[in-house]
Order: sequence, then C-alpha cells, then structure tokens
Amino acid sequence: MTLAVVRALGLVTVQDLGRPGRMHEAVPPGGALVADRLIAANRAVRNPDDAPALEILGQLAIRAERPLRVATDTLAPRELPAGGELLVASEPRRVAYLAVRGGLAAPLVLGGRGALLCAGLGGLVRTGQRFDLAGLAEVAAPPPPGPAAAPEAPIRLIGGPDLGSFPPTALELLLSSEYRILPSSDRVGTRLDGPALPRTGAPEVSRPMVLGAIEVPRDGKPIVLGPEHPTTGGYPVVAVVARADLGRLFSIRLGGTVRFTR
Amino acid sequence: MADPQPWRALGDRAIRFARPPRSARTLVRAVRAWPGVVDVVVARHDVAAYFAAEPRVDPAWIAALDTAPDDPDPGRDVAIPAVYNGPDLASVAQALGRHPDDVCALHAGATYTVETMGFAPGFAYLAGLPPALELPRRTTPRTRVPAGSIAIAGQHSAVYPFESPGGWHLIGTAGVKMFGPDGSLLQLGDRVRFVP
Repeated sequence: MTLAVVRALGLVTVQDLGRPGRMHEAVPPGGALVADRLIAANRAVRNPDDAPALEILGQLAIRAERPLRVATDTLAPRELPAGGELLVASEPRRVAYLAVRGGLAAPLVLGGRGALLCAGLGGLVRTGQRFDLAGLAEVAAPPPPGPAAAPEAPIRLIGGPDLGSFPPTALELLLSSEYRILPSSDRVGTRLDGPALPRTGAPEVSRPMVLGAIEVPRDGKPIVLGPEHPTTGGYPVVAVVARADLGRLFSIRLGGTVRFTR
Repeated sequence: MADPQPWRALGDRAIRFARPPRSARTLVRAVRAWPGVVDVVVARHDVAAYFAAEPRVDPAWIAALDTAPDDPDPGRDVAIPAVYNGPDLASVAQALGRHPDDVCALHAGATYTVETMGFAPGFAYLAGLPPALELPRRTTPRTRVPAGSIAIAGQHSAVYPFESPGGWHLIGTAGVKMFGPDGSLLQLGDRVRFVP
C-alpha cells in the first residue's frame, strides 16, 4: 500500500467519470459530482482524465507511505515524501478532488471504478483505509483549459418538458429568485431553499430523469438531480441545468446561494 | 402529417418522447442504435434517449420505432424464492376483503413481465399483477423499506433491491439479491415467478 487515509470527514469517495450505458437497468450514470474538477486534478499529475481519484465533500488527510506526486483541482502538483501528510478540504467550495500520479487502484465493476452508493458499489472512504496505485502511464500534457465562466455568474437553464404541470409563473419565479443550497444535499440531489414553485394539479407520472433536471416536489422546493439520481421520477421537471454550467452549480458550497438565467 | 418535432428537450443532452407501442427491450435496442446515443430509459408512457453531446435527432427515427424489428432475445424466465411475511400482508388482505393466504396464492400464482426499470438500480416494475390484488399506494410512504422486500402497488409488483424509502405495500421477502457487482438480476422483458 502506498497511501493511507489519516482522517476522512464528510462524504469522501473514489470517483472516475461514471458508468454510462446502464440507465435502462435503472443504474444512474454516477461518476464525479463535478467532472471538470476531477479532470483538472488528473491532468495536473499527467493522469488520463478518467483515472480514479478521491472526491472530497468535507475534509481528507492522507499520508504517503512512499514518495507520491499529488495534485488537487486547485493545488499545483507536488511531491509528497514518504511519511509526508497532506490535508485537503473542500471549503470554500462544496467539493475538491485529490489525484495521485498513476491513479488509485480500484476494481472495475459494471464499467466503472468509482463508488455508486445507491447501487451498493464501493463505499465511503474511511479513516485508516489504505490505497494502492493503478500505475497508469503518463499522458501527454493536455491543452490549457478554455476561459471559464465567472464562478458567481448565473447558472443557465433550459425549460423543462413538463409544461402542463406548472403555471407559466413557475419558471419565471425560479429565474428571478435567489436560492440557497441546503446542507441536506448529496450526490443524489442538490436541494434548494427559496421561493416555493407553484404546480398545477396535473397528476404525477413516473418519467425518465436526467442529470441536472430540476424536479419540483409538492412542497415546491426544487431539487437538482446529481450523478446518483433515480433514472425515473414522479415529480415534474420545471427546467434542466445546461450541462456546461452543472459543475459550477455543484461547486457552490452548502449554504451558498445561486441565481439562474435562461 | 407527422409532428415536425415529436419530442421534448430534456436539457441539452437528452430528449423525451411518447413511448411507441413496443416492448421495452425492442425500444432500448433500437434507440441505442441511433448515432450519439449512450443511454436509453423506457418508462411506462415515455422514452428518453441520452446523448454524449447535443442531441441531433431525425423525426423519422422516432416514427420508425413503430415498425422496429422485435428484439430477437425473448428474455429469461426467472424464479424468485419468496417468503410471504411482509408487514403489510394483513392490512392488504383486509383492504381486499380476502384471507392473507389467498393474497399469497394469487401473488405466487401469476407470471409477471419486467415492463420498465427505474427508481433504484435493479428495481423492476413487474406487470401482470392479478387485478384482485390492485390497491393504491400507502397513504404515508415508509422512510425505510428493507432490501429484498416484495411489494405491490397499483397494477405492479416489485422487489426493492436496496433499503430505501417507499410507498408500496410490503407482502414478503425475496430470497435472492436483486442487484450486485454483476448488475441487475432482472432485465427488461424477463418473465418472473415468485416461488414460496
């Protein structure tokens, strides 16, 4: 073993880019909550984009049991000597990624190496757990990332498909109000607190869902579906987050606020 | 004339359209063959196609699903060992005006088909529930339904693959794991019997 977990606080898992191709058996895509940040951490240590790395919603302290090259999505790559420790905290964002040169060793199950808690695959990383490395070869330096949207810019939405389930005012209210990211949010859904969205009396029908869909339960408080979302759901969808902005939304710390735009 | 755009956007990576009158297996197979499609979900009234990039869809593809060739794989016959010991068995029997033994015999006497999958990994909506067992969902959903619970609601039966919240009536326990590292025990189109 080469990496030991000194302390894991919060929701810490091994993640890659998920398990596409199994939604027809009700397995959601899974993978990193913010794929772009996982990729950034992996690229910083010349790993392939989909190398397994640690997703940290909280805090993680590790100790190197032999020299390691590590990086996070915000921390430049560095050498960690044998016995060296590193603390990674997701604050001030919701999530951070820690990548190790060579990638973490994790078994390939159903086409992915990351934890999919809703399917009982993998689990939470715990204090005392140890990891081996996968020994993935270095990849060529990737092109520099394009200009990113300002972190506080409004999140773009696409109107939802369930038009008959909402009065026209619902989408307008969502677009004109500020919402707070609730601490009860997880990899299944990001729960928002703010003005309750009105619904019509249309019956609830179980329909296919998608990553980034904004479901509206009867209490009117929107839920943005994350990578472990149920593949079908009965709450109507008022809007869907533009895929390009989803990572920015899921990077907002719990308790932080968000505004939406068209 | 055909609807010029017989689908609705489900964001910028997926579309949703009305389910053509075909089996779920046939629909999954046909839609997965469209260019750029990575996933398909077939629900009771709708189909969603998920793309790797912005969806590019020809309305003729959707029209052609009505006459798509049937999936040659007819599905499997799966026997699920069942113990009829669910906490709702007595209340279900009472609501239906039957003896609990009748409820078990009716449930175990039917052959079900996996009509759709959703809600949780490996959760199969089983069509074929005897009409005499149809009941609306519980008025108050449970916050915790144990994994392996055999349940009924509306026109369907199901087995909960994982502990989860749930609003169905729990009538028994399955003696088999519904989802594991090899994937889902049940697949679309499989025929299912419960064996006490």
